[in-house]
Amino acid sequence: MNMTRDRLHAIGWGMTLTVCLALLVALTMRVNAVKSEVHLADRQIATLQQEKMFLETEFETRSSQQQLRAFNDVDFGYEAPTAGQYLESERQLAALGKPAGPDAPAPVRMASADDGAGQGAGDAQPVRALVALAAEKDAQPHKLADRHPSRPARHSEAVEE
Amino acid sequence: MTGIAGPQISAVISSVRSDSVVHRQRALAMARFRLLWVLIGFAALAFIALARLTQLGFAAGDRGNGAAGMAVDRGDIVDRNGVPLARAFPAYSLWFNPNALHGGPALVKSPREVAEALVRIFPDENVDDLTRRLAAGKPGYLKRRILPEDANRIHALGEPALEFPRENERYYPQGSMAAHVLGYVDSDGHGQVGMEKVFDHQLTDPVTRGNPLVLSIDARVQGVLEDELAKGLARAQAKSAGGIIMDVETGEVLALASLPSFNPNLIDRQGSEHAFNLVVSQPYELGSVIKPITVATAIEAGVITSMARRYPAGKPLSIAGFEIHDDENFGDSLNIPEALIHSSNIVLAQVGDQLGATRLRTAMEKLGFAERPYIELPARGLPRFPHADHGEWSRVTTMTASFGHGFAITPLHLACAYAALVNGGIWHPATLQKLAPGQAPAGRRVFSAATSARMRQLLRVIVEVGTGRSANAPGFRVGGKTGTAERSDRFGYHRDQVVATFASAFPMDHPRYVVIAMLDTPQANAATSYQRTAAWNSAPIVGRVVPRVGPLLGIMPDQTRDIDISDLKPLIANGDGE
Repeated sequence: MNMTRDRLHAIGWGMTLTVCLALLVALTMRVNAVKSEVHLADRQIATLQQEKMFLETEFETRSSQQQLRAFNDVDFGYEAPTAGQYLESERQLAALGKPAGPDAPAPVRMASADDGAGQGAGDAQPVRALVALAAEKDAQPHKLADRHPSRPARHSEAVEE
Repeated sequence: MTGIAGPQISAVISSVRSDSVVHRQRALAMARFRLLWVLIGFAALAFIALARLTQLGFAAGDRGNGAAGMAVDRGDIVDRNGVPLARAFPAYSLWFNPNALHGGPALVKSPREVAEALVRIFPDENVDDLTRRLAAGKPGYLKRRILPEDANRIHALGEPALEFPRENERYYPQGSMAAHVLGYVDSDGHGQVGMEKVFDHQLTDPVTRGNPLVLSIDARVQGVLEDELAKGLARAQAKSAGGIIMDVETGEVLALASLPSFNPNLIDRQGSEHAFNLVVSQPYELGSVIKPITVATAIEAGVITSMARRYPAGKPLSIAGFEIHDDENFGDSLNIPEALIHSSNIVLAQVGDQLGATRLRTAMEKLGFAERPYIELPARGLPRFPHADHGEWSRVTTMTASFGHGFAITPLHLACAYAALVNGGIWHPATLQKLAPGQAPAGRRVFSAATSARMRQLLRVIVEVGTGRSANAPGFRVGGKTGTAERSDRFGYHRDQVVATFASAFPMDHPRYVVIAMLDTPQANAATSYQRTAAWNSAPIVGRVVPRVGPLLGIMPDQTRDIDISDLKPLIANGDGE
């Protein structure tokens, strides 16, 4: 009876070991299968990356500045927009096409002063007279021109460092 | 009987008992021993499993890097917006392998037939040359860098000996654009000429080559500058042309073009001849474009205190045997705005004379005219700056230098000087690397902000009513100065050859960019109205470049803004004033 139980134990342990080994082998095979899938995916990624780079490079070459210029010269003939095609603000848009009032001055805003350049270097602000005008971006153009000082800034007024 | 049997039985029983105890003890020991082995086995399996898992874990980490796959042996170069200008590219080559058929004949068809088929794919190849190379039976390149569709067509020829291995090549998607800035890579893998040469180590170092080299160049702006320069060059039938667009506040070069250019993808003998960068390497006597610098120096020194002061200009000026004269007589006297508008040498020579050698020379040295230009590119040209006689320039040298003659600088020197002239007076070294905000070098002060403000007015006047009118792009408030100088070399001056330059900045109410256009030896022809001067050749180039690049650089044309030149206009004879 004892012998039989021992043998049963031994067989039990042996079977357990065998099952474990079988599982291990199965697991290893599964791992290897996944690994080879991963390798395949790797290769696919590399191929796709290379293909992407080829396409990118081809696109860049076909859309190079020289090619675009050649297309434009031959097929499209586009030109840079002129100053009249730009509007800076809603006010300009509203004023578009509106005839100038009687005796309205030319709507040109002037700036002869240094509005920012060199400030970091510790400069005193030079010619001050006309800066404020440039800063008032949203003011109506003809009103700005009205406020334009008749006497221009003179160099001798400038404050030097 | 029973008396004897009793102890015997008990002895037997006791011996059997002791046997069974011993046996059981042995069995127990054996069982423990086996159990120990089983446990050791399990422990070993667990250990192996753990070790395997760990290994897989690390391997997975490695795999991530491996998946990137293609090893890049040279870093990319991109423009300031990330557009690739140079990249590593596994290109096809055409390789002739005569042993592809393992001992059989090298080619299926005759070498002549194969050569003719190849010439149908590559029309620039020579049939006889290819036939000779195929018949020789030596392995070697038939052609480097072929297109994938050409590779397909070669494959369709059915010649196993024609192989097309992929090789890591340097490829420049923009072709010849910015070739002088980029340079090229030679067959040994080393950079030549441009940034490829300067940053060769950084581009090939495994630590740094993963990050692209970011240039200050804007590909769109570069394309426009090259396009307009090429058109100007063709119109004027000039020998060569150069141009720069530079940020006045930081010294970043947004475009730098030297024509004729070369294709870095295909370096042949003509390509290497054109690899010389005129803008950075060639000093020119630039002539009248220097006049605003003289005027600024004189204003700065207090020599010019009034724009209205008149200088005699009616007759040529004779100094120490030299005669200084103007192209034509503009009147008995001229003031400073008029002298700049008409580009009077006589007046500027007088200003230079009053200014004196020391102050003019010092200002020019502060603008970097006495040393090679500051930029990353190799082969920067050494300016021809006059030597001082007895410690200082002679009077003639000073007077000729004041209108831009007697010394030679590169167009890049001029661009940096004009940037200082209009940006508030601070000179910055030029750079081809993109600078982050606040990264710009401090620079050095050459002119005061007030002088700079006055110069902006004067430059704008020249473009509004003077020689630079054809550069006056509407709404962009361009200001600049023309300069037409006779070409000089070691044989002296050539009256029949000129260098026409236009140096400008825009928008003049708050200058952001300097634009220089230069034509070497323009011809007088119908397209240039039979004129060789900068006003007819170089200034129109700037006039066409600015409207195209301005909006790209964030400067919208606006005809309701301008710099105030109302205090100068009354001083100009042909203007609104007298």
